[in-house]
Amino acid sequence: MRILVVGGGTGGTIVANNLARRLSAEIRARKVRITMLSASDKHMYQPGLLYVAFGQMTPDQLYRDQASLLESCIDFHVDPVEKFELDNQKVITRSGKTHEYDILVIATGSRIVPEQIPGLAEGAETFYTEETAVKMFKGLRALEEGTIAVVVGVPHKCPIAPVELIFSLHDYFKARGIRDKIKIKYHYPIGRIHTIQNVATWAKPEFERMGIEYETLFNVKEVDVDSKVVRSEEGTETEYDMLIAIPPHRGMEVIEKSNLGDDGWIPTDRHQLTMNGHDNVYVLGDTTNLPVSKTGSAAHFEAEVVSENIASIIKIGTPVRDYDGKVYCFIEAGHDQATYAMFNYQNPPDLKPPSKPMHWFKMAYNQMYWTSVRGLL
Amino acid sequence: MTTQPETSTDTMASADLQRLIEFAQLVTAGRDAMSDEIVTRLAGALSEGLTLLDRLTRNEGLMRLLQVLDRQDTQYLLIALSDAIHAASKEVPATAPATGGLGCMLRVARDPGTQEGLRLLSVLGKHLSHSMREQHRHPEDSHR
Repeated sequence: MRILVVGGGTGGTIVANNLARRLSAEIRARKVRITMLSASDKHMYQPGLLYVAFGQMTPDQLYRDQASLLESCIDFHVDPVEKFELDNQKVITRSGKTHEYDILVIATGSRIVPEQIPGLAEGAETFYTEETAVKMFKGLRALEEGTIAVVVGVPHKCPIAPVELIFSLHDYFKARGIRDKIKIKYHYPIGRIHTIQNVATWAKPEFERMGIEYETLFNVKEVDVDSKVVRSEEGTETEYDMLIAIPPHRGMEVIEKSNLGDDGWIPTDRHQLTMNGHDNVYVLGDTTNLPVSKTGSAAHFEAEVVSENIASIIKIGTPVRDYDGKVYCFIEAGHDQATYAMFNYQNPPDLKPPSKPMHWFKMAYNQMYWTSVRGLL
Repeated sequence: MTTQPETSTDTMASADLQRLIEFAQLVTAGRDAMSDEIVTRLAGALSEGLTLLDRLTRNEGLMRLLQVLDRQDTQYLLIALSDAIHAASKEVPATAPATGGLGCMLRVARDPGTQEGLRLLSVLGKHLSHSMREQHRHPEDSHR
């Protein structure tokens, strides 16, 4: 049985390691072989980029060698897939090699596409790559007064990011003693300040406490870089001294080129996490078109279901688990306090009051992540 | 106005309360002393420790070695090995350096200790080769 995992991010790494643990006897007996194809030999802890953007972490703290995170029996190649041929049960990589499979796991993630909005790539700071996060920090350090406009593209990774960004901005300038000279204006594309109702209800009084201006129903149309103005599809505009964007995201290009899903999101069974029409192809993490957050935690919980089901199919011929849509997000809420949102397909999040121990839990998780992707937690 | 004399129950409750206050003070002191950096370092050490423990406990060769080392007959071997290391550490420095040449080789070969040593290595090599052949022939059975 040849299992091929495409993508070495959170979801792909957890699936591969969990399978290696669950199928160790079969792997030793050479009945099962696990191969991983990834675009990089490094693994990045992506939530750490927000800390980089505020000078709380340096980029080198976000990386580990991918091979060091994988079980030794996993055949790992840095050779990204260029083409999926699902009908022939094979993929073709950048180096020209062909990998055939019996079971395929697609966990290729997503990418930012600021270029979809005129002027956004040139005019806005973001923290979704190492380079842009460092650039944003330098911009924040240089800012002594003025207006920071925060705009949000859709869809985007990590739904809590816009709210955490606001808390971080408030705390950062307060710590520098110039909060009164900085105006922070938040723009959100729907009719409330967050897509999750309970998060919006919780965050609204917090925004008012911090003196954050906000404008809802603001879908970014264009950024006039020269005039430093951001305009919305709804006809409004905001002048800024610094623009910070949560850029819109799409699935990876190879997914679109292989016609696996519109905008790079693969149509996926919401419980079995198989690709629609392909029972031997599993999809997880950002790559799915599921109505759950595009976060590492969703990828983690999906990976557990996928790996348990693949293992049980090999051992007893049938899957045993369904994904319930579980997502768990930490929310840094300023003042060294944090809370969390846990939800699934059936139950919305019920936010608890922020506390310092939850903040420490988040700090600890930043380190425990590496244990998590190894399939241990 | 008179006051009720303090009963033993009151005294105990008061002492319990005092202990609770002290515990709360301890927790508060610990909480105040903590910083993000301390939490990060502790979590990092715990994370790496867990990973190491996980690797050690799933290392089947190491687990087999521990099982073998636990057996009574292996205890004799370990004690003998300890004694041998101790004796050798005393004997080697007191022995004159080897002069080299065939004559020296013959003298060493005639030594009963050399023959005992070669026999031990030979037995060890025989079992090692047999076990490795079996494991490669039947990988699914070798870890039971």
